[in-house]
Amino acid sequence: MDAGSRAIKIALLDTRTRAVVATGSCDQGINQSALASDLLARLLAEQGLDAGSIAATVATGYGRHAVAAADRAVTEITCHATGVYHLHADVAAVIDIGGQDSKFIHLGTNGLVVDFSMNDRCAAGTGRFLEVVAQRLDVPIASLGEHARRADKPASISSMCVVFAESELIGLLASGTSRENIIAGVCRAIAQRIAAMAGRIPAGKIVFTGGVARVAGMRDALAEALRHPVTVASDPCMTGAIGAAIIAARENGGSE
Amino acid sequence: MKDCGLDWFEEMVEHCYQKATEFHEAGTPIIGILCEYTPRELILAAGAWPVCLCGGDADMIPAAETLLPAGICPLIKSTFGYSLNQANPFLEMASLLVAETTCDGKKKMYERLAERHPMHVLELPQKTGDPDARIHWIRELQKLRTVLEERFNVAITDERLRDAIRLMNRERRLRRALAQEMRSATPPLSGRELLDLKSLIACLPDDLAAYERIAGALPGRPADARPSPDNVRVLLTGVPVPHGAERILDLLEADHATVVCQENCTGIKPVTEEVDAEADDPLTALADVYLHLPCSVMTPNSERMRRLGELAREYRAECVVELIWHGCLTYDIEAAYTRELAAQFGLPYLRIETDYSPNDDARIALRLGALYETVRAARR
Repeated sequence: MDAGSRAIKIALLDTRTRAVVATGSCDQGINQSALASDLLARLLAEQGLDAGSIAATVATGYGRHAVAAADRAVTEITCHATGVYHLHADVAAVIDIGGQDSKFIHLGTNGLVVDFSMNDRCAAGTGRFLEVVAQRLDVPIASLGEHARRADKPASISSMCVVFAESELIGLLASGTSRENIIAGVCRAIAQRIAAMAGRIPAGKIVFTGGVARVAGMRDALAEALRHPVTVASDPCMTGAIGAAIIAARENGGSE
Repeated sequence: MKDCGLDWFEEMVEHCYQKATEFHEAGTPIIGILCEYTPRELILAAGAWPVCLCGGDADMIPAAETLLPAGICPLIKSTFGYSLNQANPFLEMASLLVAETTCDGKKKMYERLAERHPMHVLELPQKTGDPDARIHWIRELQKLRTVLEERFNVAITDERLRDAIRLMNRERRLRRALAQEMRSATPPLSGRELLDLKSLIACLPDDLAAYERIAGALPGRPADARPSPDNVRVLLTGVPVPHGAERILDLLEADHATVVCQENCTGIKPVTEEVDAEADDPLTALADVYLHLPCSVMTPNSERMRRLGELAREYRAECVVELIWHGCLTYDIEAAYTRELAAQFGLPYLRIETDYSPNDDARIALRLGALYETVRAARR
């Protein structure tokens, strides 16, 4: 279970085959423990399973300690690394941009975390930041990438604080800067921030995961800022939950 | 009540306050110090008591920010806020403050502090290895000696200085011995407990006796009172953790980890070296040792990296955590060296930049959690 800041994600994994049986998600809310239990019950019912078929449950995400259904909590850094490694065994680094955090995780050849860095204190360079931008520019978040591609001169965004950036956007709009150029500028600013956080860029494969990986345009901006190709994870919203499930399966010794 | 005599230091501030009040009423001067570069020996040899005034209380900061920029380090702001709020009784009782030009923030804050308190500022040279820097520092300490002699009408003879050096050496030796107990595979204390084993006032006889008592009792501390030997062993480095800011140690040790070594000014840094009390010129001996303190204000500060490497081995560290108070430029810049050093040793590294407010506790806990998971995964 990945209890993130914007959504709860659950992955069911077969402890024997290590195959993902089912995944599901719901919006985050006030009572996240109940939301997670309901989602789990729904997924089990869809698979014709019941609570007795669950060998172990690991929770991750910012709400990892609040989910009653979980046996224990593991940080999202370890879980994303594990989940991405499961899906892309040749991964060298993971970029995860979620609702309120962004992370750059360096992995060893065995898939274990070697080093990581995260954004500090504010929502700069996170999904929430993009939401504010999309809302302010009256563009659906899913089509941000489309708009960014049409930019001819990406605007320079200096402020990486959500609150200040919002007033900067208003200033840019007032001065006649196009939406396309503002959106491309925001994507570029976020990507540059991630690149600065990354430190040494690994030679191997860089996989982009988290909700923001679904925003077309961010991958290209990241590849440009890192001067390195970036692959979007095959199920970017689910890698945290899948990683948690793999850890749960491992600790259970693969028992049935 | 705590075992092994540890409870003595739980009431350290109260003991210091009681002693300071006695000294003050008896006309024995109390002299405030603000950094480990000030040799407490000179103050003790002048018949005065040195008391550390570094602020660790977040509540003092809003007052300080009325005069100081918000972007400087919380230690500077908190220390100054205590003066504006007249909330530190030791500061109010002090007959003199001895400060030094360690970093820009402190140096400029002392100008404002001097508006309310008598102040002597030592000019600290910052090229440790330069022979001229050494000569300058010796002269600065000679001037301090004269200032103290004239202000308090005492003669700081070489003999008095040697006695003070012996006394400070004893305190350093005792505190070092306690810190070195943590080298054990089954450390007797948590890092938080060790951090509490210090005093605002140097060399109080009751404190020295307590250090000795604890050192004698620790080897016999039962396993159930010790931190678990399975805990992740953390080497903490960077800025000091003054009284009031201990939450950072609580966070570090909340998730099955023990801070086995604290390479900072509230830990092992100022007690590592002893001063030669039998040297021909005790003042020169004093200057030499103090100028070697590996603070990030020095350039180059390679001694810190050399010591860190030794400590990582001696204390069998499994990871390195660097603490940076927000706005501490010199430690923040050196963090990149520490990261490189940790990589050389194959140790996971984490830099935490924060201030005294607890609003980022969850974020720090997440980073530490991931760091410790990495260490545990590497054990398997």
